[in-house]
Amino acid sequence: MAPGAGRGTGQFYPADSPLHALDPRAKILAVAALVVGLFLVDSVAGFLAVGAALLCLVQVSRVPPSTFLRLLRPVAVIVAFTALFQVAFVREGEVVFGLWVFQAHSEGLRLAAHLALRILLLVAAAALLTATTPPLSLSDGIEDLLSPLKRFRFPAHEIAMMMTIALRFIPTLHEEARKIIMAQAARGADFTEGGLIQRVRALVPVLVPLTVGAFRRADELAEAMESRGYRGGEGRTRYRELSFRGRDATALCIAVLIPVGGILL
Amino acid sequence: MRISLEDVWHVYSPGTAFETVALRGVSLSVEPGEVLGIVGGTGSGKSTLAAHLNLLLRPTSGRVLVDGRDALALRKSELRRRVGLVFQFPEQALFAPSVEEDVAFAPRQMGLGPEAVEERTAAALGVLGIAHLARRPTRALSGGEQRRAAIAGTLAMRPQVLVLDEPTAGLDPFSRRELLGVVRRLREEGTSVVLVSHDLDEVAEVSDRLCVMEGGAVRAEGTPEEVFYGELALAPTTVRVAARVRESAPGLGRPVSYDETLRSLRALIGG
Repeated sequence: MAPGAGRGTGQFYPADSPLHALDPRAKILAVAALVVGLFLVDSVAGFLAVGAALLCLVQVSRVPPSTFLRLLRPVAVIVAFTALFQVAFVREGEVVFGLWVFQAHSEGLRLAAHLALRILLLVAAAALLTATTPPLSLSDGIEDLLSPLKRFRFPAHEIAMMMTIALRFIPTLHEEARKIIMAQAARGADFTEGGLIQRVRALVPVLVPLTVGAFRRADELAEAMESRGYRGGEGRTRYRELSFRGRDATALCIAVLIPVGGILL
Repeated sequence: MRISLEDVWHVYSPGTAFETVALRGVSLSVEPGEVLGIVGGTGSGKSTLAAHLNLLLRPTSGRVLVDGRDALALRKSELRRRVGLVFQFPEQALFAPSVEEDVAFAPRQMGLGPEAVEERTAAALGVLGIAHLARRPTRALSGGEQRRAAIAGTLAMRPQVLVLDEPTAGLDPFSRRELLGVVRRLREEGTSVVLVSHDLDEVAEVSDRLCVMEGGAVRAEGTPEEVFYGELALAPTTVRVAARVRESAPGLGRPVSYDETLRSLRALIGG
């Protein structure tokens, strides 16, 4: 094994839980329902209710909460910025407090809270899906959900295959980037010092080999697939058949009810 | 310079489901001017060990000492310059348009002037025997030439210790011979070389000392003679053959490399 081989965040976390056992289609639709629902929720209490429900689901998933926290950390920065902008620039409602030239209005605070909670919950819901669903099942599910469109010549299988490959290669490229970064660091490359332009320039020795490597891999993969007789989705059968059972329907109903509860609050 | 590891442990992704203990209390030293061979199967912790020699990876516990001082106290750039680390398949990290420019990257990063950079680049290319390829585009070289260009890129820093992780993997027998020749030349010039490999024959040929890794720990350590004749299962074929011959002809001695074995056998049959 290469030194430092590890896993990135936001990936499948193998565990034996009811959420892992669900049909991927049920989980995808459930997340879709949650996402749509989250845009309709319009009160902090509603968001908190959805958040509490998601926390319960995290518990059920047996994925350590730290995995999600690690994923939410970078998002939190963006969220904080967006929220700050809302507070600083929305001038409706009464002034709650003032700081230097800025005044926080009640409407701004309300919007900021909604926005922050909404984004965090969206990301958390998506993370729950990818953490409990192996990438292959995920793309199987997507292919299946898109397959009605095949009638209109929509390349559902090809799209799903592209997604599978993309997902499959994220950790590979991540690993390769890490190796190249270490190799260049060993030659004295420094990615942490200097101004913005210097830092971007420091990335050239990493990006060039990474791009070359990605193209090489793509070629190799295409050859490997063709040599094993791959010829697109037509007439292709699956090794693992998906089956939508009662528990999947139940789970989907629950997922729809969560944001509905949030909307009503 | 002397690098020593004291009870070094390394754990990847600690506290997650992917937690892997790669090193389990390794103590080892690289003496000035020696060629130290590190052998072991895949997953034995060889590469992880190599990355600790210049602290590209930090020990989870334990210490790395450089000339008796804690390496963490040294400046990172200083340490990386003094301990040159060449990873597996280093040609994958070539990025500059020409060989020359790629080799010049490290000395430039060190902040040297143009003459010094040029001098070091030329010298490194010379040691690797690829001076004639200086102006060629890196992508136009053969695999063996690319490998040597990449090694020259690290050598241009003039490290006191050069760590080569599987430098001959995937190379043809001729490129392999030439690379081992480079290792010998560097040793003559006083550079210590750490040669990480799973090829017992090649390690037997150039190493002064051997360290056998297994499951993240040091399983055996000593001169090639001590290690190989101590446990024949770890020895290359030539040594196993020599050991069999010794059973009936103790005068054979304990040859380690192919050439030594051949010489001893010749002497034995009076040829």
